[in-house]
Amino acid sequence: MRYKYFGLLIILAVLGLIVGSFGLAERLLNGLNPTALGSYIPWGLWVAFYLFFLGLSAGAFLVTIMTYVLGMKQFEHIGPLAAFTVLIALLCEVQFILLDLGQFHRALYQFFLSPSFTSLMTWMFVLFNAMLVIYALKTFLLIRGNMIKMADKEKGRLLKNIYKLLVLGQTSYSEQQRANDRRWVGILAKISLPVGLLFYGTNGTFFAILISRPVWNSALTPLLFIVAALLSGGALITFLTYLFRLKDPLNANGFCREEQLCLDLGKIILFLLIVFLALEALQFFVGYQTGTAAIVTSLNLIVGGPYWWAFWIVHVLIGSVIPLLLLLFGSHNPRSVVWACFLIFVTFLAVRFNFVMPDLAVYKLEGLEATFYHPRLRTEYIPSLNEWLVSPWIVSSGLIAFLMGTRFLPVVTDETGGAANE
Amino acid sequence: MARILPSEDLLSRMQRDLKRSISGDRSKIKWSMVIDLAKCAGCHACTVACVAENKLPPGVVYRPVLEEEIGTYPNVRRRFIPRPCLHCQNPPCVKVCPVTATYKNEQGVVVVDYNRCIGCRYCLVACPYAARTSDFGEWYTKGTPGTSENLLGKEKCSEGYENNPAAEYGKKWPRRGKGSPIGNARKCHFCLHRIENGMLPACVTTCIGRATFFGNRNDPESLAAQLISSPRVFVLKPELTTKPAVYYLK
Repeated sequence: MRYKYFGLLIILAVLGLIVGSFGLAERLLNGLNPTALGSYIPWGLWVAFYLFFLGLSAGAFLVTIMTYVLGMKQFEHIGPLAAFTVLIALLCEVQFILLDLGQFHRALYQFFLSPSFTSLMTWMFVLFNAMLVIYALKTFLLIRGNMIKMADKEKGRLLKNIYKLLVLGQTSYSEQQRANDRRWVGILAKISLPVGLLFYGTNGTFFAILISRPVWNSALTPLLFIVAALLSGGALITFLTYLFRLKDPLNANGFCREEQLCLDLGKIILFLLIVFLALEALQFFVGYQTGTAAIVTSLNLIVGGPYWWAFWIVHVLIGSVIPLLLLLFGSHNPRSVVWACFLIFVTFLAVRFNFVMPDLAVYKLEGLEATFYHPRLRTEYIPSLNEWLVSPWIVSSGLIAFLMGTRFLPVVTDETGGAANE
Repeated sequence: MARILPSEDLLSRMQRDLKRSISGDRSKIKWSMVIDLAKCAGCHACTVACVAENKLPPGVVYRPVLEEEIGTYPNVRRRFIPRPCLHCQNPPCVKVCPVTATYKNEQGVVVVDYNRCIGCRYCLVACPYAARTSDFGEWYTKGTPGTSENLLGKEKCSEGYENNPAAEYGKKWPRRGKGSPIGNARKCHFCLHRIENGMLPACVTTCIGRATFFGNRNDPESLAAQLISSPRVFVLKPELTTKPAVYYLK
C-alpha cells in the first residue's frame, strides 16, 4: 500500500545502510577485533539487539496466534502484516547473532555436522529455523491470492515479473485454492503455537540454566522473557496497525477500524505491561532479599551503575511509567495508546541491555580484577563505534525489507482479504 | 631436617609419575592438578610460562594468579590463587557448547576443538571460574611500524614469538588472518601437547616454589593422588557441584 512516510523512511534506511556499511566492512575484515567485547563481558550490544528483535517478533507472533488459532476475527486483516513482521524480525535477529560469532561461517554447517542437543543454543537454532520456515510459508499463503491479482494488473514490467516469480508463475487463483490456503494457514498457525512458545521460552531458559549467573539463574527468567517479548512485540504491532490505518470506514465513535483495533490491543498491552513490571519487581525483591553478594552487586549495577539512566530514565520513566499512565487514562484515545506502545517498544533495548550486562559485569572470582590487566579482561563495557555502526546496518536492512514488503506486497489487506493497494 | 626437606626435587618425582602413567593403560588416566597455596609466592612465573608455551596473544590468559587480601592491619596477609582451567568432572561449559567443540577427553581434560568452535562464547558465560577467554585477534606488535629494524620492526619483533605457531593439541596454530584460534574460545588444556611427549605442564615446571603438582589421580602412587587425600585439600566453589580436577591445599 502507499503510505505517507514511505519516502522519508526509505531515505533513513538507505542512510543507515551507507553509514553502517563502514562498520560491517570492518567487522567482516577484522572479525571481532573492532568490538569492545572481552572475555569477562563476552556478549554486548548485539546480543541486546538480538533480544530486542526477538521481542518484536514475539508480539507479531501473538497477533497471528490470536487471529489464526483463537479465531479472533477483529485481528484478521492485520494477520498478514503480523506474519510478515515476524519474518523480518527473525531475519534481523539472525544477522545480529551471526555477526556476534567469532567464526560465523562455521555456524552455517557445524550445527548440522556436530550438533549437541544438551545445549540450548542448538535448540534455539532448530526452533529459529522452524519459525522461519513456518512464517515464510504462512506469509506466502496469506498473500498469494492477492499477489496473483497484482501480477495480473501491474503495468510495470519489473514488478510484474517479481510478482510472477514470487507466485511461481501461477496466473489464476480459485476460491477453492483460497480455502485450501486458509486451511494450511490454520494448520501452520497451530504448529507455530507450540514452536513459538518453545522458541521464546528457550531463549529465556538459555540464560536461566547458567549456575554461575545468579541473576539469570532463576525459574522466573523464561517467564519474564516470554512476557517481555510479548509486551515489546505487541507494542510494535499496535504501532504498525496505527501506521497502516486506512481511515475508512469510520465507526460511531469516529474511529476507523485500525484505530478501534489499537484500542483493543492497548488493553492487552496494558495487561502485559503490568505483569512484566510485577515480575521485574519480584526479581528485584527476591534478589535483594536473598542478599547474595553476586546478585546484590548485579542489581546494584542496574539501579546505580554506569548505566543507571538506562534503567531509571529510559526503562522506568519513558518506557514504563509514561506508557502506563497513557494506557490507563487514555485508553479511549487511539493516539494515547499508540504513543504508549511506541514508547514501550523503542525503549525496550534498554531493558535488554540491562538484562545482558549486569550479570556479566561482576567478577566471578575475587581478585580477578587485579591480575593480568588487559582491556579484554575487564568488566567495564562501552560498545565500540564498530558495534554502533553495524547495528544501524542490520536495522536498516530490516527496515528496507519491511518497507518494500508493505509497499509492494499485499501484506496490508482489507477485511475481505483484498490488498489495500489494489 | 630429613622429614621436612624432600629427598629429591618434586619435579623429578612428578616426571616419573607422568611417565609411569602414560606408559600404562591410558584409558585409566585422569589428570589432576594440586596447588599448594601455602607455597605459592605470587611470582606469576606460571602465568608467563603458560603464555610463552602457548604463544598466547594479548588479552588471552589461561592461568592468571588471583591475589586476595585477608584480614586487617596489622593482622593482614596476602594469598595467591593460581587459577588454571579447573577441568571440572561435571563441566558446565561442555553442556552448553552447541556444536560439541568443547568436550572432556578420555583422560578427563576439557578440551576445545578449534576447527569446530563457532565462537559463540556461551562457554565463557557458563564457566563459573572465568577460566575461558576469547581470542579477539589481538597482536603484541599491533601498531608497530613495519620496518626491518631489530628493535622497532614488526617482522623482527615478532620473529621470536608471534610468528611462531602455537603447538596446542599437538597441532601447529600459526597466527594469521582471522583463522582459528582467533575468534575461538581458548583455555588451559594442561599442556596436553607436552604431556604427550612425557613432559609436565609448563606451569608446573616453572613454579619456583614447587607449589603446583600434576599427575594421574587414579594412580595411588602418584604425588598428586597422595596430595588430594590431604586434609588441607579444597576446591573452588564446591557448592556448584562442578567437581573440579584442580585441587587446592590451604
